[in-house]
Amino acid sequence: MRKYFEIAKILFKAQLVYRFDVFFNALFTVAKIVFAYIVWGVIFESNTTVAGFTLSTMLSYYVISSFLSQIEMSDGITGEISGRIRDGSFSKFMVIPSNTFLHFLWQNIGSTLFYMIFNFFAAVIWIFIFKIDFALTTDIAIIFSSLLLISLGLFFMVQLSYFIGILTFKFKNVWLFNLIKGNIAAFVTGSLVPLVLLPMGVVDVMKFFPFYYVTYLPSMMLIGRNIDEFIVGIIVLSIYILVFIIINISTYNFLRKKYDGVGI
Amino acid sequence: MNIISTSNLTKSYKRYEKEEGLKGSIKSLFKRQFIMKDAVDNFSIDIRKGEFVGLIGPNGAGKTTLVKMLTGIIAPTSGDITVLGYYPNKLQNEYKKQYAVVMGQKSQLFFELTPSDTFVLFKELYNIPDKIYKENIEYFIDLFDIKDLLNVQVRTLSLGERMKMELIVSLLHNPTILFLDEPTIGLDAIAQKQIRHFLKEVNEKKDTTIILTSHYMEDIKSLCKRCIVINEGKKIYDGSLKSLFARYQTHKMITILFEYESSISLPYDIEILESSPYKISFMIKKFEVNKVLKYIIENYEIADISIEEEDIGNVVERIYSNKVGDIE
Repeated sequence: MRKYFEIAKILFKAQLVYRFDVFFNALFTVAKIVFAYIVWGVIFESNTTVAGFTLSTMLSYYVISSFLSQIEMSDGITGEISGRIRDGSFSKFMVIPSNTFLHFLWQNIGSTLFYMIFNFFAAVIWIFIFKIDFALTTDIAIIFSSLLLISLGLFFMVQLSYFIGILTFKFKNVWLFNLIKGNIAAFVTGSLVPLVLLPMGVVDVMKFFPFYYVTYLPSMMLIGRNIDEFIVGIIVLSIYILVFIIINISTYNFLRKKYDGVGI
Repeated sequence: MNIISTSNLTKSYKRYEKEEGLKGSIKSLFKRQFIMKDAVDNFSIDIRKGEFVGLIGPNGAGKTTLVKMLTGIIAPTSGDITVLGYYPNKLQNEYKKQYAVVMGQKSQLFFELTPSDTFVLFKELYNIPDKIYKENIEYFIDLFDIKDLLNVQVRTLSLGERMKMELIVSLLHNPTILFLDEPTIGLDAIAQKQIRHFLKEVNEKKDTTIILTSHYMEDIKSLCKRCIVINEGKKIYDGSLKSLFARYQTHKMITILFEYESSISLPYDIEILESSPYKISFMIKKFEVNKVLKYIIENYEIADISIEEEDIGNVVERIYSNKVGDIE
């Protein structure tokens, strides 16, 4: 296990080198909050509630879901695996004594943790500056349940990104898969619009898919709503995670035999 | 004891082929044509522990494909392969811990960080005990004299310095086998020499088996006792480097300086490299050296004579173009 901690640590250290990136990532989080503050402020000028949300709960939802979508950085896994398979440097992961999936998982944890810390502080500071009446639940059990859901959701996203990445062994170019995933995720995770604003039928269908539980449900739970969906969320995510563990192991073991390590 | 053994090892690649131009591209959209290429063809070798083996061959000969099969990166199409008792392509961690591979153009280092950061990562990856890690770091720092570079960002290192760090990273866990693919590519003469010295030392002191592929015959000549020549995926020579040179280094280069201005005419079919009134350089077959020198000494006033081995480049060219098969 220590080796995976070290992988996360070295990625964390590598992020620290680029101060400009750190600054702009934090600024991006802030910009999202400012944008939400302005847009929802205008909407709520003529309404006190929208779909059961007050301005403060809406902004709180937006801050939390933006923060969660910002730390969902699994796209990088697809990009790195895909690029490395194509240029032949994927071999470096095949010759070192570590599990390839776990290697990428902990790399992701390392870089995510880094951005999480900086974005968290950026978000907290701006909540104070804009004097947002932050509607975070005070129920510890709900907070822990949400954190569990967030962890499982992020883990699932890593699995999905890894899966799309290793498809490069077969398809050489996986940008289309990634594009589809990105668009679905952006919409279904509710990071753009709270899903509660969508027709009920659409939301019900989304509940069968894991994306619903990655950003949307934990964000809602943290503002004290949709608590009853927690158990379903855990079950759905667990099922998808288990299925993807099997899919990823068998796909990797099958497709890596097609790898010819060109360019080395 | 053999630690590497392959028998009739073959690796075939399927290559996509299309006619030139837009028409060819459209046609290939509907009907794709593939051709098969044997990158390694019925290749059998046995390598003992502690050997330093040179793998030479022209571009596309199959050297790197062979190394990729030995390290498990790719699976063979057919034939048998055993390295340290393992089938490499199973990619078992127990196997991976016993070898290291350095590819001249690929890096294990984190460019944003320092070499020390990567060393620590590899210490954990290979589960290297503190004592061995410390001993090895000290040993390699001393051998390469790189103490001042340990805490410098990797991207600011020169190519030679980076290669030294790559070698250290790969050897931290005391691998039984080290696969080296073009380790001196692009390096200046001093760095090449330092790396050769380093590899020689590691092979002798740590008894590390080293398989070296290189285009630089100088690497092979100064490091390897045994040499395997590959061409078009086939082994065309496997034996001592000495025998290889005895067979293919067939010429000598002779340079003669004359006491007085001379117009020399040689009674043999000789390749003249340089000719002036006071100097002549020529290439001559080894067995003709005595006869020719005797003739020149008897007929001209000589100031100096030098007899040198033929340039390695010529030898390599002759080896690759010769398809006579094994000479062992």
